[in-house]
Amino acid sequence: MSFFDTLFHMTEWLRTTWVVDFSLWVSNTAACQWLQEHFVAIPGFQSIHILAIGVLFGSALMVNLRILGVAGGGHSVPETVQRYMPWLWGGLAALIVTGIILLVSEPVRNMVNPFFWIKMTALLVTVLVTAWFHLSVRARMDSWDRSSNGQGAIRAGAVALIILWCIVMAGGRWIAYAPV
Amino acid sequence: MILQSLWHSIEFSGIGQSIASSEVAFPLIETFHVFAIVTVVGTIAIMDLRLLGLTSKKWTASSVSKDTLWLTWAAFVVAVITGLLMFVSKASTYMVNPYFLVKMAMIAAAGVNMAMLHRGPWKAIGSWDSAAAVPANVRLSATLSLIFWIVVIFCGRFIGFTLGVYQAPM
Repeated sequence: MSFFDTLFHMTEWLRTTWVVDFSLWVSNTAACQWLQEHFVAIPGFQSIHILAIGVLFGSALMVNLRILGVAGGGHSVPETVQRYMPWLWGGLAALIVTGIILLVSEPVRNMVNPFFWIKMTALLVTVLVTAWFHLSVRARMDSWDRSSNGQGAIRAGAVALIILWCIVMAGGRWIAYAPV
Repeated sequence: MILQSLWHSIEFSGIGQSIASSEVAFPLIETFHVFAIVTVVGTIAIMDLRLLGLTSKKWTASSVSKDTLWLTWAAFVVAVITGLLMFVSKASTYMVNPYFLVKMAMIAAAGVNMAMLHRGPWKAIGSWDSAAAVPANVRLSATLSLIFWIVVIFCGRFIGFTLGVYQAPM
């Protein structure tokens, strides 16, 4: 069975769950109606959503590439973490807010959609890994001298996080291409 | 018009048709375009916000540039390649889409703005490198850069919603 067949079956299964009733209920809310009636609303909020990913992913790249010793060699790991992690979390907050607005704007298209749930699962994993990562980098801050590029699990985590954020972004893009 | 037939022949070229007729090619190319454009805008914003004195204030402007610029360029190359691949699959539809045309103009404007910064005030960076408040013309350049790239993102998204609205003459 191909990947697309699997997705197709996921959609069929989603149609048998509470998600259908819930998304139809959201469709009837005033917020959804307003977003639907204003042509610029959906692409506008999508654009803000993408700008927020720019802030988040730019920050994630700077931190993770610094830990890998690929970029940002002029500044220490602690300095880099202090500079960018608040922006990463801020970007995430903006993403969640615009994401909820986008979810309300097209509830059925989003929720009765395997890519949406794949994206949400990937997002949850990525946020948990980021939080663990932030805490463990912070715990080692004192022992990190200016030139150290991080070690072991931390380096693996840096690579994993870049890939995980890409999976989340890909999930978002493919919501528009779910087989139905 | 001669240009219209040019866009038409690009669209009906072998590569244009194979992208247009594949179910996964376009979304796959689009996905890498998103990775690239997000990196371009993210890293440019880091630089511009430093120049505006809003972030990285303790870091010299040149060190932030060294951290980000190569990444910006690498991602820009990916964005251009993936963008061209999407373009060839629907060339004549894009060329009549106002959002596409504004997007291209904004990228060109961002390029000119960046070139002017690097040929002008950047040459004297030694005098303001570690200052939180950089010269006014540098701040103007950073503000314009942010505006241009934000408009690029908005236009890019609106293209996808208006492809059916603006139809190319056959």
